[in-house]
Amino acid sequence: MSPAALTLAAAHRPESPGLWTLAWRRFLRDRLGAGCLAIVVVFVAVALASAAGLIASDWSHETAVSYAPPNFLGGSTAPDEASPTAVRDDVSEEIDIKDPLADELAEIRKALAGRSAVETKKATLPLGADKWGRDVLLKLAKGTETSLLVGLSAALLATFLGTLFGAQAGYFGGRIDDFFNWLYSVLTSIPYLLLILAIAAVLNQKGTSTVVLILGLTGWTGIFRLVRAEYLKHKVREYVLAAGAIGASDTRRMFAHILPNVSHVVLVQLSLHVVLFIKSEVILSFLGFGVGVETVSWGSMLNEAQAELLIGKWWQLAAATAAMAVLVTAFSLFTDALRDALDPRLR
Amino acid sequence: MLAYVIRRLWQFIPTLLGVVLLVFVLFNWVGGDPAYLLAGKISNPEHIENIRRQLGVDEPYYVQLGIFLKQIATGDFGASWATNEKISHIFASRLGPSLTVLVPMLVIGTLLAMIAALAVAFWRGSVTDRAIMIACTVGQSISILVYIIVLQYVLGYQLGWFPVQGWGQDLRENLFYYAALPVLVGVIVSLAPDIRLYRSFFLDEINQDYVRTARAKGMSDTRVMTVHVLRNAAIPIVTNVMIQLPALLAGAFLIERFFSIPGIGREVILAVERSDFPLIKAVTVYVAIATMIINLAADLLYKAVDPRVQLK
Amino acid sequence: MSKTLRRIVLGAAFIALALPLTCRAAASAKTLRVTFQAAETGFDPVKVADYYSGSVIEAIFDPLLTYDYLARPAKLVPNVAEALPVISDEGRTYTVRLRKGIRFADDPVFKGVARELIAQDYAYSIRRFLDPANRSPYAFLFEGKIAGLDELASAAKKTGKFDYDAPIAGLETPDRYTLRIRLKQTDLNFSHVLAFTLAGAVAREAIEAYGEDTGAHPVGTGAYRLKQYTRSSKIVLEANPAYRGTVWNFAPGADPRDQAIVGRMQGKRLPLIDRVEISIMEETQSRWLAFQKGQTDLEYQLWEVAPRFMTADGGLKPEFLNRGIKLDRTVDPEIIYTYFNMQERIGDQPNPVAGFSKEKIALRRAIAMAYNVNDQVRVIRKGQAIRAHYPIPPGVAGHDPRYRSSIPYDPQAASALLEKFGYRKGPDGYRSLPDGKPLVIRYSSQPTERDRQFDELMKRSLDSIGIRLEIHKDRFPELMKLENQCRLMMRTSAWIADYPDGDNFMQLMYGPNKGQSNNACYESAEFDRRYEKSRLLADGPERNRLYKEMTRIMEVDSVWIMGDSRYRNVLLQPYVVGYKKHPVLHTEWLYIDLEPAK
Repeated sequence: MSPAALTLAAAHRPESPGLWTLAWRRFLRDRLGAGCLAIVVVFVAVALASAAGLIASDWSHETAVSYAPPNFLGGSTAPDEASPTAVRDDVSEEIDIKDPLADELAEIRKALAGRSAVETKKATLPLGADKWGRDVLLKLAKGTETSLLVGLSAALLATFLGTLFGAQAGYFGGRIDDFFNWLYSVLTSIPYLLLILAIAAVLNQKGTSTVVLILGLTGWTGIFRLVRAEYLKHKVREYVLAAGAIGASDTRRMFAHILPNVSHVVLVQLSLHVVLFIKSEVILSFLGFGVGVETVSWGSMLNEAQAELLIGKWWQLAAATAAMAVLVTAFSLFTDALRDALDPRLR
Repeated sequence: MLAYVIRRLWQFIPTLLGVVLLVFVLFNWVGGDPAYLLAGKISNPEHIENIRRQLGVDEPYYVQLGIFLKQIATGDFGASWATNEKISHIFASRLGPSLTVLVPMLVIGTLLAMIAALAVAFWRGSVTDRAIMIACTVGQSISILVYIIVLQYVLGYQLGWFPVQGWGQDLRENLFYYAALPVLVGVIVSLAPDIRLYRSFFLDEINQDYVRTARAKGMSDTRVMTVHVLRNAAIPIVTNVMIQLPALLAGAFLIERFFSIPGIGREVILAVERSDFPLIKAVTVYVAIATMIINLAADLLYKAVDPRVQLK
Repeated sequence: MSKTLRRIVLGAAFIALALPLTCRAAASAKTLRVTFQAAETGFDPVKVADYYSGSVIEAIFDPLLTYDYLARPAKLVPNVAEALPVISDEGRTYTVRLRKGIRFADDPVFKGVARELIAQDYAYSIRRFLDPANRSPYAFLFEGKIAGLDELASAAKKTGKFDYDAPIAGLETPDRYTLRIRLKQTDLNFSHVLAFTLAGAVAREAIEAYGEDTGAHPVGTGAYRLKQYTRSSKIVLEANPAYRGTVWNFAPGADPRDQAIVGRMQGKRLPLIDRVEISIMEETQSRWLAFQKGQTDLEYQLWEVAPRFMTADGGLKPEFLNRGIKLDRTVDPEIIYTYFNMQERIGDQPNPVAGFSKEKIALRRAIAMAYNVNDQVRVIRKGQAIRAHYPIPPGVAGHDPRYRSSIPYDPQAASALLEKFGYRKGPDGYRSLPDGKPLVIRYSSQPTERDRQFDELMKRSLDSIGIRLEIHKDRFPELMKLENQCRLMMRTSAWIADYPDGDNFMQLMYGPNKGQSNNACYESAEFDRRYEKSRLLADGPERNRLYKEMTRIMEVDSVWIMGDSRYRNVLLQPYVVGYKKHPVLHTEWLYIDLEPAK
């Protein structure tokens, strides 16, 4: 936001700049944070473009030979194995079993005789190819979409649950607080690995939404604790008591009055969990509960590439690791900057 | 104090009941019918029915749940369905290897992270601080899977500094020979997040009034850091490490699988693959109890160190 | 605090310095080190089903018969029997005489008295398979075959106690060393059952003494005994001092390597290896690096990394040859196939792939023609498999190396076939059923990385002919359950020979085996009629002819998509000698030797 815009805004609204405006100004002063935000925005743009089908919609096309190396390594001159030649009937034995489709197939064979040869495949690609000859670069773009989608949706779900439960528990206290605390201690007492495996087995339906649900349903506990503590603190503050005095309902006090004042905590948690869940997706893939076969994620790429490294095909592993490292680092540093901007006492 | 402890122990019961119920429902509902796994390559309905009867999974749910509760009360979870090994024996034999890796990993990791965090907290805001923080963030952003694969390959195989995998009978051999690389991997993986976390603990302390007072009365910076800040920040650090322990016991499965360590985590994965319900039940209950006890111990530790903390 | 810290840091530094000093104790002479890629379950022959437990059981227990180490195809030879069984009464009575003086390994349950192996031990061991309390996965080997035995089993189900002492007509011991088995009907393959790994003799005293824990206390007459056992981690076997001490004595076959093996090994007293150390390593990277570092002597579970050491024409790469590493390459007696469920309904839903009308056969045929089995071999198996044409794999009696599948890989023709039968493409590029209803193929697999590759291949194959695929993921026990109830539509399945006879494979499509091993739930009168006839025949041209016809019937009905059989590439350290992979025996530990290091 330019200074001119700020003055304009100030002119329009006579009161002093609010929490968010101040935080935004502080955030922009942190050059590293702003740079990281830019990187995150680039990744999000790639993900959106992929989701809209503008790029990487043909990621599953096998454009190159199996394990085509990256361009800078140069392609091997040896062509891929000859494309499979159809095996014709050549049982010399006189087995007397009649095929009910014999006539149709004979007709089809006659019609198809002399058809064109198979398409040629590339020997190298910018970032190489995977075992089926799919472009790693395109997979990376598609994987960005899936992994960001998983990270963001799961974090939103976890934050939503954590905030909702935390608000109820902190605000109402008593029985409700006891119940949510009980739920919290039950979930945190079960070994996380078992919890994940069990919930994965319950949901069964394999796919991106399952991954989001597994992560979201098991990951809200940390947020719950923080939000509950904030609500405990805020519910006795004067502004809340005042709102109660003028007849604001509980729901209104919880979400219209207190929530904006604790939203910086929630926002930072949301951002932290995005990173956490993007990383967790890798482990879920390792355990076999990753995304389905119709799409690709960084976790599925890493998992696939793990065995490839041993046979010297390192490019998929390197590409997925690098992409993930850049996004996660940028996102984490952005989160740090965000927290600093929202809570300047921590500097 | 005693009243508090008794009340907390009393509260274990509903939590444990919740854990039991959740695990029971989840694994009975979806755990897969172990009979089909145990029946082998060729099975017929008669076999399946026979196996189900032997395992007791054809009993009504309330009976099975009752048996589960009795098992918890007596601490005897019977034998594994897959191998007939006593559950207590599985724990006794797998706990040692798990701890042989986890304890050095936590001790070394925590010490290194504390030193580094203290240093960056001392020079907070400097270029060094920022560089280390960014390095930690980058380090944290790489999947543990990649760390294990690459470190095992490079340090174990290519450079030959460590055995690539294995486990022996002798504690000394295990600790100093076989556990070295897994511990190193664990330390490297945990270092980055730990430094970041501990730095925030130190900063919390540095911003406290007593630190300002100490400085004001002329105490040297080094002394303030090592005497006041370190001592006070050590409490959240130690409790944080303690609280991690039970989860790590079951969670270190990646390291255990790659380095062939006969630990608990590997056993849990195996149990889930084999629908070995007795073992799953036992692991869950034991880890839940350990978690609760450690949480209580952490709270008591807080109280012991800082009398201002209100226990309620 | 800082002082303590310094002390700790110093201590850590000291430990680090001391590290190189703690070197491994030198391994004793002639120790063979091998790995299992999955955990064993125990060593009680009647209670296990997995290959790895079987490997250990094979080393500890003795079946009546075994296989010649060198002869191919596998040839039965007596083990603890004096000779091969005398088969009489049109293949319904088997009489075996045991050699005298064979002793069980010493064990506390024998209270210091030498315990001789007698015929009664085999009668007891066979009965154990049918005892409901043992819930034996391999009960099917004896179930419904031995006169009187099934009646004992059903009585036990009622009373809750299996009567081991009741005399039955099917299992008799006329004298101390003679076992007579009477079968309910002609079975010319029963000798293979007597040679089966899990059909070794246990001692009743030991079984009764160890009760529930027999899996950890195997007591047998074999060449090895269990020395040290850390479950699912490490198993150590040592030579059994009470072993009868067989002599290496095999005739060379047609294989040119046999001469060298015979020259080296002939006349040696077995076992030559004193100790077998088995480590369980789940991850391929660990197994590969361990072998490379010389921590293991023999390794074959390296499918994923095969391109690292294999050349395109099936040899070892020069860098490994130069190090003296040896390769033993055979095809495993197994078949990987993808079946269609042939039942008209799955649960309460109609099954789109079932039926014998022309349009239904055309759908299955088109899918089979679109399935890129060459890519299965080339990409998933990394070239380390051969395409299967015949349901009976190489190395198994009844295999026909000249048989070629009549279903070619030809997606274009497959698409044309679907068009012809009215499976039209919609605007989304996917076909619907001829009656206009949507067509979705449901393919089931496990949530593992390996199965994901099969999912990907199936998806690519079906996409190429415009058929929509849905992947159903479930854990293994659940898949088994659904499969036995004929409720999976398609799944890729594997069958590994229990014994080297074609019957073991052909029974997979026999109608009455539906709900057991016939996982396609295929019921064809034509097939079944021929199968029943084949059961009465010994291996030979007449039976082979029936097998060929049955295979063609199955192909015409398009029940299975034939997959592949994997190569077993066994890597051996230079000092391992006398090794030749046996198609049926799980391990070759008894017959090989380690040369002393130079």
